[in-house]
Amino acid sequence: MDSNKKYWKGLEELNNDPEFVEKNKHEFAEPIPIEDVLSSGGLSTKTPRRDFLKALGFGVGAVTLAACQKVPVHKSIPYLIKPEEVTPGVPNYYVSSYEGHAILVKTREGRPIKVEGNPNDLLSKGGLNAQAQASVLDLYDYNRLKNPIRNGNDTTWEELDGFVKNELAAVKAGGKKIRIVSSTIHSPSTLAVIADFIGAYPNTKHVTYDAVSYTGIIQANQNSFGKAVVPHYNFDKADVIVSFGADFLGTWISPVEFQNQYVQSRNNKSLQNKKMSRHIQFESGMSNTGSNADTRILIKPSEQGIALVNLYNEITGTTLPGTKALGNTNAAKAIKLVAAELKAAKGKALVVCGSNDVATQVLVNAINSQLGSYGATIDLDNYSNQYKGNDAEFVEFVAEMTRGEVDAVFFLHTNPAYDYYNADAFKAALKKVRLTVSFSERNDETASLCTVVAPNHYYLESWGDGNAIEGYYTVIQPTINPVYDTRQAEHTLLLWSDNAVKDYYTFVRNTWDKELQAKGGLASGLKGWEAVLQTGFVKAAAKPAGTYAFSRDLNGVAQTILNQSGRTAAGDGKFELELYQNVAIRDGKRANNPWLQEMPEPVSKVTWDNFVAMSPTDMKKLGYVQGDIVTVEAHGYSVALPILLQPGQTQGTISIAVGYGRTQGGPVADGVGKNAFPFQTFLNGTFQGTATASLTKTGDIVVLAQTQTHHSIEGRSVIRDTTFKEYQKDPSSSSGEERKHKPYEDLWDAYERPAYDWVMAIDLNACTGCGACVVACNAENNIPVVGRDEVRRRREMHWIRIDRYYSFVEEGKEITEEQEISELKDLDNVQVVYQPMLCQHCDHAPCETVCPVLATVHSSEGINHMAYNRCVGTRYCANNCPFKVRRFNWFNYWNDARFDNYLINEHTHLVLNPDVVTRFRGVMEKCSMCIQRIQAGKLQAKIEKRPLKDGDVKMACQQTCPTNAIIFGNKNDPNSEVSKALKSERTYYVLEELNVQPGIGYQVKVRNTNTELEA
Amino acid sequence: MASHNESIIREPLITGNDITYAKITNDVLKPVENMPTKAWWIGFAVASLAACLWVFAVSWTFWYGIGSWGLNKTVGWAWDITGFVWWVGIGHAGTLISAILLLFRQNWRNSINRSAEAMTIFAVICAATYIVAHMGRPWMAVYSLPFPNQYGSLWVNFNSPLIWDVFAISTYFSVSLVFWYTGLLPDMASIRDRATGIRRRIYSVLSFGWTGSVKTWQRFETVSLILAGISTPLVLSVHTIVSMDFATSLEPGWHTTIFPPYFVAGAIFSGFAMVQTLLLILRKVLGLENYITMFHIESMNKIILVTGSIVGVAYLTEFFIAYYSGGEYEQYTFLNRFVGPYWWAGCMMYGCNVLMTQMMWFKKVRTNIPISWVLSIVVNIGMWFERFVIIVVSLHRDFIPSSWAMFYPTWVDMSVFIGSIGVFFTLFLLFIRVAPSIAMAEVKLLLKSSSEQAKKKLMEEGHVDPSHAEFYKESLTKFDSVELSQYEKA
Repeated sequence: MDSNKKYWKGLEELNNDPEFVEKNKHEFAEPIPIEDVLSSGGLSTKTPRRDFLKALGFGVGAVTLAACQKVPVHKSIPYLIKPEEVTPGVPNYYVSSYEGHAILVKTREGRPIKVEGNPNDLLSKGGLNAQAQASVLDLYDYNRLKNPIRNGNDTTWEELDGFVKNELAAVKAGGKKIRIVSSTIHSPSTLAVIADFIGAYPNTKHVTYDAVSYTGIIQANQNSFGKAVVPHYNFDKADVIVSFGADFLGTWISPVEFQNQYVQSRNNKSLQNKKMSRHIQFESGMSNTGSNADTRILIKPSEQGIALVNLYNEITGTTLPGTKALGNTNAAKAIKLVAAELKAAKGKALVVCGSNDVATQVLVNAINSQLGSYGATIDLDNYSNQYKGNDAEFVEFVAEMTRGEVDAVFFLHTNPAYDYYNADAFKAALKKVRLTVSFSERNDETASLCTVVAPNHYYLESWGDGNAIEGYYTVIQPTINPVYDTRQAEHTLLLWSDNAVKDYYTFVRNTWDKELQAKGGLASGLKGWEAVLQTGFVKAAAKPAGTYAFSRDLNGVAQTILNQSGRTAAGDGKFELELYQNVAIRDGKRANNPWLQEMPEPVSKVTWDNFVAMSPTDMKKLGYVQGDIVTVEAHGYSVALPILLQPGQTQGTISIAVGYGRTQGGPVADGVGKNAFPFQTFLNGTFQGTATASLTKTGDIVVLAQTQTHHSIEGRSVIRDTTFKEYQKDPSSSSGEERKHKPYEDLWDAYERPAYDWVMAIDLNACTGCGACVVACNAENNIPVVGRDEVRRRREMHWIRIDRYYSFVEEGKEITEEQEISELKDLDNVQVVYQPMLCQHCDHAPCETVCPVLATVHSSEGINHMAYNRCVGTRYCANNCPFKVRRFNWFNYWNDARFDNYLINEHTHLVLNPDVVTRFRGVMEKCSMCIQRIQAGKLQAKIEKRPLKDGDVKMACQQTCPTNAIIFGNKNDPNSEVSKALKSERTYYVLEELNVQPGIGYQVKVRNTNTELEA
Repeated sequence: MASHNESIIREPLITGNDITYAKITNDVLKPVENMPTKAWWIGFAVASLAACLWVFAVSWTFWYGIGSWGLNKTVGWAWDITGFVWWVGIGHAGTLISAILLLFRQNWRNSINRSAEAMTIFAVICAATYIVAHMGRPWMAVYSLPFPNQYGSLWVNFNSPLIWDVFAISTYFSVSLVFWYTGLLPDMASIRDRATGIRRRIYSVLSFGWTGSVKTWQRFETVSLILAGISTPLVLSVHTIVSMDFATSLEPGWHTTIFPPYFVAGAIFSGFAMVQTLLLILRKVLGLENYITMFHIESMNKIILVTGSIVGVAYLTEFFIAYYSGGEYEQYTFLNRFVGPYWWAGCMMYGCNVLMTQMMWFKKVRTNIPISWVLSIVVNIGMWFERFVIIVVSLHRDFIPSSWAMFYPTWVDMSVFIGSIGVFFTLFLLFIRVAPSIAMAEVKLLLKSSSEQAKKKLMEEGHVDPSHAEFYKESLTKFDSVELSQYEKA
């Protein structure tokens, strides 16, 4: 039944009067009177056409102007199909290895952004050096080769393969020699690839050539014990370490591993047990290792051999024929005392020598044998594969080329045109070779001379493996698709030798499947392989380290050594020149890395240059000042380099770092410093880095870009050190415990730290000053590189720096004040101390009170924050910071063509850590205590529904530190590592008298000095 | 104000014959009502060229960043804050002259207060430009104001002396401006009344409808007194607060409780020196010797001497405290001023400010115009170095020796500073063209009581003790604007 009901909403509707009906029509809105406007007033104003044209003209003009600026296109392409293992914002870590060290590669959205040590790495226990930290940047280096090259023109791989294989067939038919020249390769798979290649082309020989060579040690061991290897040294097992010019903490063989071993008998734990090793360094230039030595004895390179002969005589009580007394009375006295100490520490002593001379190393072997080091501190059975270069073989190879006997040569990871001492001979000889192939990643000095450049993958794009120490196998796995059109060298070699296995990945798998997985006790096949990809390495059971007795006749050896000394000894105003590697640049292979170029060299604090290090006394004598450019000439080669005033440099000697003066290393490397490799000589079958040089002043002067220009501590308690003797008497000696005052009364209530109170402990006795933390921080926190000129203006941006102070010892007293130092007569007795300095996150932070806009504030977790967005850049905070750790963005370093060190191209910014913003010009920045890591750690714990554990969060600097000198953690947790470390009697706070209440506690430096040696 | 006759033994505040109210107006308004002279054009060309240099250098800084200055990680302030404090200091004399001297009824201020106040305003403008220019992100300068915002409740940091600075300088500037302009009103009206055409219309607006009625004058006087009352504490507070930028910090060499009085004295010292520098030229070029007389010059020199000596005592106190405190950083900082790499800056500071001004004890020096002028410049050089020493020499070697560094200025640093002087003089030269450089209305007050001709009349009428007259005549010998021959007859 239809309803007749009528619903109404109001009386108006019920009545339905005309007014309501009218209103109801326009219930919702007044219509826009477009019609009215268009039809009447709107267009009929005066000259609407002109107005229209004006507007049009302006509009077109404005749009044209705006369009003149090319708007950069930033493509942000989301994953079409999300890879299972990639979650945007969450990093993935992959195991890999770097120079035989197991590492972890952190990737974000498929791109590697950070390399970290694998905490289980047997060599360095999770530490990495600056070079490894910086290696991630080279992946994105815009100057890497982007495709294969033939005769200087870009080509394709197919075309190249065809060409090379034809050539190889022709060479094979011709019967002339084929050579593969490489730096040391310890990868079992690569070696197998080369072996297979040799199988296919039997005229091939693999020549191993290291720019900085250890042939002397290898041949000495062959000579002494019949084992042609670099032994594995155990510095942790040595109570007395005597080094003759071996920079084992900085550059010698395996420095990261040695650093870790070295501090085992010097760190807090060892000191608590009242145990500390003694380290005596005999050297001419101030090395990173020498600067850490308890006692450092200055000798000339020419005195090294004599000193060793004398040491041998002292230890054995015999006299080798032709023995000369050391002219250097200080050293002569030291040798006697050192010999006594070494003898007393028999079985726990270690003598190492940095020389690459076979005879010298034979004598060192004899000494170590006398001291019972073999089987204890030196392991010849689980030997090192890190260096296998054979200098004589390379020299012979150059001779072969010169004679026209070589028809094909392949260069892998090597660059002799730059680092061979006689590069001109090499270059001339190379022209006679029919087929020259380089696998270089960049068009370097050697590659540019080759007919074919088949660019290799970078290690982060590669499969591979490593075997740094016998029995320790690490895996390399790619963490990104190849950035450019490159191909792995091993793969290329497989193709060119028509190997049955066509790709290198399968080849590596086979190597591991056949042999290595079993060695590590893993199943064969995919299961074992997957386990390897989880752990990163396998370790075969270590062979027992055998004892080796030295039984060769030393008479001839002694004669050779003494003859050589006579040859190097410089007379009539000449200087003994010693070449060395500096910690940042090493042999120059990574010279195009701006992080490394800007990393201050640990001792000199010089960036972006090499120099002639000279003793202050010599400089005074010759009237030189720092920065004077001198021409150094030795056996026909000369370079002009600035002088560096180097306290602790032996008088009559100069030191020059190799690895600089690249000509085709890339825009960063080229023209930085001068090449010192040609000063090397080939003598008695090895390359030797000493020469007699004459100096002439050019009259030019430059300012070296040093990050520290004042070198004495001025008697301030910023640095506190003590001797081991004092420490044993009173562990709190010099930490200022005795001056501990009652806490100051505070006018305000302290803020609560309910959950965390983040603090740090830095052990000055563990820090070797290597600078790995500086580069790790660069990588983690997107710290800009500012370049040489800006460093000269004292504007480097490093959030963590390592302060290095020299003090002089006179009559047993430490002299630290500039004024007094200038009056000292004897400037040879130098002590060095390193102090990592970063934002102290003061609880009473002076920076916070002065910031006008609250851009820097304290957190409830004890951290001093920077709000970049709020900062207006008054720099008041930096002025008021007593530690001077704040860094101001003077320019737009990220995006200013004048600072084009690496970032202004389409690739390199991919290395940036997306968790950390880059800072615009005009804002202040400083150490954030890796706040992004703290946050990530807290989030991870939250996801896993557990409290944050001690050790979950590690700072970038702490993570990479090879000696665990830096400990970070929660002070609220009394059981945290950092709380324990801060309880050490050695703990003191820098400038604690200001009551800024720093959050970083330092532990006093302890020197195990021998007072007899000091006097 | 003072309509009674002043004691004859006081030196005259206005000299010259036949000075009438009309003549004062004519004399003072000569530069305003006539085409500029050649000297003015030369001065203006030089000053505005320097001002252009300032525009260029500051634009350069804004475009490329603060890095174009010579600052570094250790020395975060140098020529910028040195310049800022220097200009603020110079800006102190004006208000002191117009406010404090008004309250103390020092009538001689009437001839110099206008220029001094103008100088104050221009100096504070120069200082304020430094505040903005020294910021890393000047386009965010607004963050330093406590404006309501949507970032939660994000205020400025009221603990920061820089915020106090913002308030202090802006208050000082606005009060000084109001005070100066209020004083200008009757004079603007005088110009209006003599002008025609467009000028008349402009000055009519600028004089705010001044009628010259008794009521207007009465209110004018009242406002002047009130503003003087308001300004007086500002004279002391502004530089006190500027000094707190340093005093409240931790830096050795900055962290000093003596700074507030020391800075205020220093500011008055440099301010008077700048007034002296300007007025010695002004009176000559504009022919105002009758109104800015030797009495003024000598009085200002006396103030320079007194404040210079206060500054000297403050310096000594600093050294004593550094020694007495036993603080090693403090001691090093003060020793470093003499033996450090910036020893020459320390010598400039102590030499110019203390040693040179002590010459003012001699009346011959105080009343010698060329020497006074040179000394006034020496004082401001010394005061610039004082700030340089306090800022740069303290910062460059503070607590941690590894960070010790040198500061080397760049061409931009120098251009901004030289340019700011150009800006200052450009403004000042424009000012003397558009407004009377002497407060006519106030000077006219002195004509019947304190002028030389009034006193001469008294003497001629024989109302004066002859020994007093003799004394008076003797005091006139140093005036360069008095014809002594006229007195020989008397």
